[in-house]
Amino acid sequence: MSTRTEAATLSRILRWGLLIAVVGQVLWSFRPAPSRAQTVQERTGQRLYEASCSTCHGLTGDGTGNGPTLQGVSPSAVEFMLTTGRMPLASPNEQPRRQDPRFSPEEIDAIVAYVQTIAPGGVPIPPVDPAAGSLSEGAAVFLDNCAGCHGAGATGDSIGGGRIAPSLDQPTAQEIAEAVRIGPGTMPVFNPRSLSEQELNSLVRYLLWLREDGGDGGLQLGRVGAVAEGLVAGVIGLGLLIVAIRLTGSKT
Amino acid sequence: MVVRRFVEGVDERLDPGSFVAKNLRKVFPDHWSFMLGEIALYSFVLLVLTGIFLSFFFVASPQETVYSGPYAPMQGRIVSAAYDSVLRLSFEVRAGLVMRQTHHWAALVFMAALIAHLIRVFFTGAFRKPRETSWILGVTLFAVGIAAGFTGYSLPDDLLSGTGLRIIYSAVLSIPFVGTWLAYLFFGGEFPAPELLSRLYVLHILLIPLALMALLGGHLSLVWLQTHTQFRAPGRSEDTVEGTPVWPKFALKSIGLAFLTFAVLAGLGGLVQINPVWLYGPFVPYTASSPAQPDFYAGWLEGLLRLWPDWEFHVFGHTIGELFLPAVVVPGVIFTVLALWPFLEARVAGDRVWHDFAQHPREAPVRSGIGAAGLAFFTVLMLAGSNDVLAKFLDVEVDTLNDVLKVALVVVPAIAGIATWWVCRDLRGSDAHPIGRPRRATIRRGAGGGYEEDEG
Amino acid sequence: MRRPERIVAAAFALSILAALGLAAVYVAGGQTQAEGALLLVALGGIGVGLLVWAKTLMPGIGDETQPRPRRARGPEPTAAADAVIGGAEELGRRALLTRLLIGAAVALGLAALFPIRSLGRAPRGSLFTTPWRAGMRLVTVDGTPVTRLTLEVGAFTTVFPEGYVGSADGQAVLINVGDAPLTLPPDRLAGAPDGLVCYSKICTHAGCPVGLYLAAEHQLRCPCHQSTFDVLNGAEPVYGPAPKPLPQLPIEIGDDGNLRATGDFTAPVGPSFWDLPPA
Repeated sequence: MSTRTEAATLSRILRWGLLIAVVGQVLWSFRPAPSRAQTVQERTGQRLYEASCSTCHGLTGDGTGNGPTLQGVSPSAVEFMLTTGRMPLASPNEQPRRQDPRFSPEEIDAIVAYVQTIAPGGVPIPPVDPAAGSLSEGAAVFLDNCAGCHGAGATGDSIGGGRIAPSLDQPTAQEIAEAVRIGPGTMPVFNPRSLSEQELNSLVRYLLWLREDGGDGGLQLGRVGAVAEGLVAGVIGLGLLIVAIRLTGSKT
Repeated sequence: MVVRRFVEGVDERLDPGSFVAKNLRKVFPDHWSFMLGEIALYSFVLLVLTGIFLSFFFVASPQETVYSGPYAPMQGRIVSAAYDSVLRLSFEVRAGLVMRQTHHWAALVFMAALIAHLIRVFFTGAFRKPRETSWILGVTLFAVGIAAGFTGYSLPDDLLSGTGLRIIYSAVLSIPFVGTWLAYLFFGGEFPAPELLSRLYVLHILLIPLALMALLGGHLSLVWLQTHTQFRAPGRSEDTVEGTPVWPKFALKSIGLAFLTFAVLAGLGGLVQINPVWLYGPFVPYTASSPAQPDFYAGWLEGLLRLWPDWEFHVFGHTIGELFLPAVVVPGVIFTVLALWPFLEARVAGDRVWHDFAQHPREAPVRSGIGAAGLAFFTVLMLAGSNDVLAKFLDVEVDTLNDVLKVALVVVPAIAGIATWWVCRDLRGSDAHPIGRPRRATIRRGAGGGYEEDEG
Repeated sequence: MRRPERIVAAAFALSILAALGLAAVYVAGGQTQAEGALLLVALGGIGVGLLVWAKTLMPGIGDETQPRPRRARGPEPTAAADAVIGGAEELGRRALLTRLLIGAAVALGLAALFPIRSLGRAPRGSLFTTPWRAGMRLVTVDGTPVTRLTLEVGAFTTVFPEGYVGSADGQAVLINVGDAPLTLPPDRLAGAPDGLVCYSKICTHAGCPVGLYLAAEHQLRCPCHQSTFDVLNGAEPVYGPAPKPLPQLPIEIGDDGNLRATGDFTAPVGPSFWDLPPA
């Protein structure tokens, strides 16, 4: 065989090889995930997960450059993030914030069930029974552990680094319990040995009660305290009286 | 009629001569801005009246007791008798909460009106000779007023006010040489000492009100004897005062304003919640809640503490704590300069003449500029004191807001001062309102190509 | 009735009604908002009525001009000042007696200040020590001893020396940082076993309890003036006005799993004071 024919054959082999390798890689990346989804619910969850979560958290829940791994993350955390609308995030750099949830409760259950199959374990969804708690224990637990970040009136406050410990007038009992047990974002964890189930019931009961009843004094001014009170005293209190003296006094 | 017989009877027995008659006919100018001090005065009156009511129910004791009142979240909690008495006042005593809240709103409006009054006196130069003493009494009233408010809202022994007490204790500790001794002396020992509560009570209901009344008495007597200042106007001379006689018109207006002040304060007292100590819980030294601010009149101090850098000094094996400068030295300098201002200005301006006219701010551009700079300084400090609330409201990062405010603390007063000085100089001699209508002019192009302003 | 008269009459009438309403509300048990609103009307009615009356219904009483009190210009004192100075000079003629009198007054004044000392106690060394001693167990606010299992990674709690629950200067915060790298001087690293590290809870700026734990950043933050401390780095201040790190409480894990202190804090707790030597 001549050198030119050898070269032509070699180049044909290389071109075909390259084409097969590239196409093969592309096709391989579209391979379906190793599916442990068995039930209908889990398969629904898989479909939703792959559409909305896998871009950042990976098809196997092992994370990508855009989002952390879900291995070891509890079903509580998954449920909390989805019911409070903090997840899915529109972009990986966005700060998770409370919004309307993107999925229905059934869809959320499905996703939680599916994530358990690819990333099992973690803190189970905590049972919470506010009626079994006591208001006074709840108030004490809240003031000792939570008021520093979330405010004495549970209306939230800034805590530095661009973050805000949110107001607690929106979450459901379940969401509060989940947040306490998983410590989302920069919130610390309060595990059952440090905050018992009974204390959690009481805390939730107090927070639910606090929404409706902050006291009989009148307008609550967001329970922000002296800042709002000072503004009202100056603008409304003194303001009204200044209007009065302008009307009754002379201008020369 | 009854009034005539009563007055004639008193007149006959006292033979007051012309003293009462002369003073009832004394005139007072009634420019609206001269009423700001009155608002403060009437707020003080209401403070005393509501305070008397509260003092029958408050228990100034740190003794531990178990709360068993109707406020469910505190039931069974071990609290001090003081805290317990305030919850009882708020939830069990009829009209107790409206009295308590009115008392606190009155304190806030008292300080707000006092500050507004101080600003008015400053910008109108009404502190000049012969009224320097009135000014000093007024600045002292300001300082004692802050102490009154602080001791007052620390009485319920709740978590928020107790945290404030700890901060003051730390500030006293930081004083060189005598700090530790002074702190243990005033606070009764290492914080939190049980003696503290009853001391705050004695200060708040006895010593401070006595001081306030004495200072007020002096302040008002001087105004009465020296006569009130007045703005320049056509037909007015500095040797006379033009106004309304005390009786009946001025007195009726004043009493009307008093009732209006009481109305606004009582309205706030029933309709707008203030200092809900049941949410903060009883004071314990091992926890603190946020947002943590003092009442607004101490907001500038809080701002100083939040913005001041972490400088600490060591001298001869001793430490001057970081708090000493922002919590002790700077406020001390501010109050000293403020109190001595009439003498400072007289010396710098070379003005030792007797003045009875109040000036419009534009007549004293330098003073107004300095005053505007001072106001801007205090405003930035107040914003800094509420930085976490402000950051949440504006949805910005609180640490970045702090950096902005540190720069603003220097830049904004400078701009405000210079701008005010400029505008005052510009407007001096004219009566135009600073934010008045712009002057209209018609400009016509002449035949030769130039531009001329049309007269008329 | 002319219009201003009608306004004044209406204001006073409303005030009367509101006052009656106040009495009724009180008898019925009281209600804060109703009390506030009725007080507003009752007091405001009188106020508005008086103001309108004074301003519009007293036209005959207008502005008057009066002379200001003027002293005769000149450096001579007035008769009153003369009298005061004269009296003082009379006393001054007896120089020795006057000086003794002043001495007595000053001495008595100084002596009178001494009872003030009874208000306080001597600090002695109390700012340098807390109740913590080697071997004392760490307990939480309800008195439960803390074990190595109490806190999971990312959790924190407030601890006290056993027997001193609620102690103001003994308060400390215990954090489980798990595997995160702790940068401590070698002699202090042993005092933070198993990722469990304990610091004084009293902020070194102005003494507030440092109650905010930002778990993701491993930072303790004070709610009062935002001082922030790096838990992994000996609680060094990384933001805010605090000038010194939080002192560490060295702990050990006992054979029974309970956590115990191995001594008092590594430095005096809380903000600085004059007698504190430089670190």
